[in-house]
Amino acid sequence: MSIPIYVTGLGIITGIGNGKSENLQSIIDYKSAVNKIEILKSKHSEFPVSEIHLTNNEMCEFLGLNPEEVHTRTCLMGRIALREALQDANISSETKEKIAFISGTTVGGMDQSEQFYFDFLENDLKNNYIKAHDCGTTTEMIAKEFAGDFEIMTTISTACSSALNSIILGANLIKTGKVDIAIVGGSESLSKFHFNGFNTLMILDKEQCRPFDKNRAGLNLGEGAAYVVLESKEAIKRRKIKPLCQLLGYANTCDAFHQTATSPEGIGATLAMRKALENSNLQPEDIDYINAHGTGTENNDLTEGTAIMKVFGENIPNISSIKSFIGHTTSAAGSIETVISILAMINNFIPANLNFSTKIDEFNFIPNDKNIKKNYNIFITNSFGFGGNDSSCVFSKIIEK
Amino acid sequence: MNDFSLRVSKNIYIKAISHISNQKPLSEEWFEEPIFYSQKYVRSIEPDYKEYFSLLESRRMGLILKRALVTAINVTRKSKIMNPDAIITGTGLGCIENTEKFLTALIKNDEEMLTPTHFMQSTHNTISSNIAINFKCHGYNSTYSHCGTSFDSALYDAFIQFQLGEIHSALVSGQDELTPDYFKLLKKIPYLKNVKVCGSEASVSFMLSDEENGENIAKISDVILLNKPEIKKMLGNLKCNLSEIDAIVVGNNGDVENDEIYNNFINIFDVHIPVIQYKQIFGESYSISGLGLYTAAEIIKKQKLPVINNYGGKINKVLKKVLFYNHYQNKNHCLILLEML
Repeated sequence: MSIPIYVTGLGIITGIGNGKSENLQSIIDYKSAVNKIEILKSKHSEFPVSEIHLTNNEMCEFLGLNPEEVHTRTCLMGRIALREALQDANISSETKEKIAFISGTTVGGMDQSEQFYFDFLENDLKNNYIKAHDCGTTTEMIAKEFAGDFEIMTTISTACSSALNSIILGANLIKTGKVDIAIVGGSESLSKFHFNGFNTLMILDKEQCRPFDKNRAGLNLGEGAAYVVLESKEAIKRRKIKPLCQLLGYANTCDAFHQTATSPEGIGATLAMRKALENSNLQPEDIDYINAHGTGTENNDLTEGTAIMKVFGENIPNISSIKSFIGHTTSAAGSIETVISILAMINNFIPANLNFSTKIDEFNFIPNDKNIKKNYNIFITNSFGFGGNDSSCVFSKIIEK
Repeated sequence: MNDFSLRVSKNIYIKAISHISNQKPLSEEWFEEPIFYSQKYVRSIEPDYKEYFSLLESRRMGLILKRALVTAINVTRKSKIMNPDAIITGTGLGCIENTEKFLTALIKNDEEMLTPTHFMQSTHNTISSNIAINFKCHGYNSTYSHCGTSFDSALYDAFIQFQLGEIHSALVSGQDELTPDYFKLLKKIPYLKNVKVCGSEASVSFMLSDEENGENIAKISDVILLNKPEIKKMLGNLKCNLSEIDAIVVGNNGDVENDEIYNNFINIFDVHIPVIQYKQIFGESYSISGLGLYTAAEIIKKQKLPVINNYGGKINKVLKKVLFYNHYQNKNHCLILLEML
């Protein structure tokens, strides 16, 4: 017997907007946020990024927090997204259900640590930021946005698939009856640390990224946060809340090939999609839209496309990567792209894959370069991380009353 | 509550454990003859890596990766489970040595002349994926980083997947390294500031299976992980009466605020119950709870207590059920109930 998991709330902040409606509108208007670097104090301005155009102080102001207290950018963005998710799902300290909070991050408090690291070592001026550095503390600081208590709280750090793996853990917690509601996702600010790190790997594009294009030249980094509220059937009945959609199934697999490169045949990616379909009790032809990981790097897109052809054969569903809008938001990508895909599905369109012009020779498909109006029911979303941490999740419109 | 929670829970067996810590590595010698340290900071005792890696491989991997892989290799060998369904790691700080190296170079060289190696091996999930690459494991692979309950989170994930029938074997580990610089930083913040035991490192791997056949160290009967719970209520949810518990393993470390929580916990039990404070041996680290669970499992296997502060050794009762308790700054709390087979 499969236990249904419902989605009852969404919260999001990315380069293309603060909140669900701004993000949706930007996609409809083909408005990309990938532009010249402004907020991050990096000298490598030759590489565009997708930034949230709010300083940390402005985010504090938005949240009503004292900017003199210790905040990291990942926490502030996380709080903004969490606040919207809580409101959207009508969750307050009065809510009687058991709630889990699972958040993904890798950067954590690095945006501050990279500014103060020598202070940490040499004096006591910035000691308060030492404890804000790690991933777990980041989650605890984001959780302060909720006035109630979380029953279960933890942090996942599987690089670029962290937020999808949070969704998977949250669903398992509901299935085993540990909680009734799981607020799951991730938050990741830009940092000089990983911006430079990706630069040393020589996979940053100096233009807006071109996922699945023959002439693609790398990825653009982005920042943001998003949370999805997952809920059991019993809880939505008790709370008399109308769900937005359903999580049908998911899989977490490992490419087990290389720390930063994918296997040419896409073992992990193929397995992730196949197992997610199996877990959802679906056939490949049931999928209407593939929200691809599609970073725009030579390696990822070739491997992911190869895996997609293996799984879906001749009849590839509509496919797009939205990273040319929001950049690669790394640990938050899974939940950010899930939220945008859900918004697109319930508004009956398939989001565009910007900047596509030339088909990759090895492929039998091209992504849709325009938004496509379409009433459809089911999408699969992929997140593939360093070290071959590959995950896929399948969502659908409400099918079970 | 859904139908699932009414079902009978599945038994999980600890098939093998391996550690690299401040005690003799890959050995159970600490149980009889622990090394006690008076220093505030002690690094792990390294095994002979030549037995495991070529010089080139060894040079390519950071310490935390080498330790993790060696303990993983040992539990796969001992359990003969070469391809576990899940590889799940808990790490509070991840690959902090490589993070430091890349960060220091980034600041000193003002974002110039950086090399990718340290960055590639800086992300937390490098550990789990390096293990998967070594064993060609394409199954579930995840990494938890939640302060002093990172290992507990990893074990909890495995536990619920065993319950769901999603997995039948899992390699669960706790991994943290501590560089001299990062020890200095942690000494400035509440985490290590008032701790009296040594700041240390931990690498400990467990092979778990739901298959009873073959050798087993202990059975994991229950795992509960809660945020800010009421402890008595949490104990009430345990699949066992408190009077049945034969020993408890707790994480007192000399910090008054930390110890108060453990002391309140101990006071819930009968005054005669054996209490083992494993951090007196292994010190404090974000992943040290993995060594706490190891201690509890060894107590069941050996049917005696490790000797700490002239307390322990053989006792006049069967140690059938041992409860391990861990908390991090009174926020996340974890209970793990082990049983003799």
